[in-house]
Amino acid sequence: MLVMEKKGQENKDFSLEEGFQTLDELMGQLEGKELALEEAFTVYARGMEVLKQCNDAIDRVEKKMLVLNEQGEYHDF
Amino acid sequence: MREREYSVSWLNNYIGMMFQQDFLLSHIKVTGEVSNCKYHTSGHIYFTLKDEKSQISAVMFAGNRKGLAFRMQEGQNVCVEGSIKVYERDGKYQLYASRIELAGIGNLYEQFEKKKRELEEMGMFSPEYKQPIPKYAKRIGIVTAPTGAAIRDIMNISYRRNPYIQLILCPSLVQGDQAALNIARAIECLDNEQVDVIIVGRGGGSMEDLWAFNEEIVARAIFSCMTPVISAVGHETDFTIADFVADLRAPTPSAAAELAVADFRQTLELMMGYQKRLRELMQEKIEYQRTKTESYRMRLQFLSPVEKIRRQRENLLRMEERLQSDFEGILLKKRQKYQIYIEKMKGLSPLLKLNQGYAFVEDQQKKAVYSVMQVKPEDVVTIYVSDGKIQAEVKNTVDLGMKGVGHGEKRTGE
Repeated sequence: MLVMEKKGQENKDFSLEEGFQTLDELMGQLEGKELALEEAFTVYARGMEVLKQCNDAIDRVEKKMLVLNEQGEYHDF
Repeated sequence: MREREYSVSWLNNYIGMMFQQDFLLSHIKVTGEVSNCKYHTSGHIYFTLKDEKSQISAVMFAGNRKGLAFRMQEGQNVCVEGSIKVYERDGKYQLYASRIELAGIGNLYEQFEKKKRELEEMGMFSPEYKQPIPKYAKRIGIVTAPTGAAIRDIMNISYRRNPYIQLILCPSLVQGDQAALNIARAIECLDNEQVDVIIVGRGGGSMEDLWAFNEEIVARAIFSCMTPVISAVGHETDFTIADFVADLRAPTPSAAAELAVADFRQTLELMMGYQKRLRELMQEKIEYQRTKTESYRMRLQFLSPVEKIRRQRENLLRMEERLQSDFEGILLKKRQKYQIYIEKMKGLSPLLKLNQGYAFVEDQQKKAVYSVMQVKPEDVVTIYVSDGKIQAEVKNTVDLGMKGVGHGEKRTGE
């Protein structure tokens, strides 16, 4: 659970939506014919890194719905 | 004549029949204010309908309750549809309701339009205030009743699309006097809980049922909420003020869940698609560079001196071949011509005649002998035949007197 929280903290600034947007941009660059091979490798490496971040950002822990009461406390539904 | 006497029951029965025969009384709509309203445990509702001057008792039997869509309260203005009948036991006539509607329904609609206009003028519906709904929300706040279809629908759809989503319900009344304040407070509560999006809504109902979502306090709570809000009130056709203020209107609570929760499999597919495409693009890039390199290599090779020499040698070889074939052509032509001459010559040659047994005779002076006059006995002549010559001596000559027949070949004597 602690690990999960830590992971969540790390990725706090990262959203899937932005990740996918970055990937779109990187692919746009790769699709351009002008890009030198060395630059292409850099772009590719960056893309893979973003993909990994996306993958990390995807939560894979099943959750139950919580109920927030008037005192601001959580309990199970 | 003695007047006839009637029993009370007979009379009430008679009056009852009169009421029944009356066209207007058997189906009538009456408007008035509700008072003395009692919901009986049996399911029947007893109440009195009144105006400034008059009143009538009314009843709605449990079997007709589907004709009533709201909870009747004292002081409400209602329109009751039903019939007037006599309650024979008490000798009272009553209104038997089959359908009750709030008489102010036209009023409610006017109120709604007025409120809508007001808030619109304040700019609360303006598109520039609409916040985008995050595509990949992780925490979703929900304001609705903890019981009821709406929360069930939202849960089902949400977990079906993404079992890893965190739903947070802030329970609220969604109907009645307290509902609007409740909803507004719940929205504020969730706004402080770092949720990515808030769904505010309830299931279908009458305009009265949904009224809380038309209240200004709810509109203001949605408007000032920092978290994007999806409204999901009633059915597809129901529009409330909340729908206009919300950042996004969903036609139903289920639809709201679909809008708020990204499908997990689709997200994974999208990611795998990105990965695949990224690899492909890189592969293409490398392939492109490889082809380019290869084409440079080929061009360079083409331009190299070795290649130049090879090409010139090839040229030379071709020229040599051509020279040879041209020359052979000429030779062949000449040879054919030569052959033709040979044939012609053959036709003219005396040798051919020698072959057929003729001979050519020469005297000692190497002159052709064609007359007996040229030789005399003991002259030596040379006779040419096809394969050689014969030296012969003339024995005698005989003149056959055939002068004029050619040159007169000399017949060699026996």
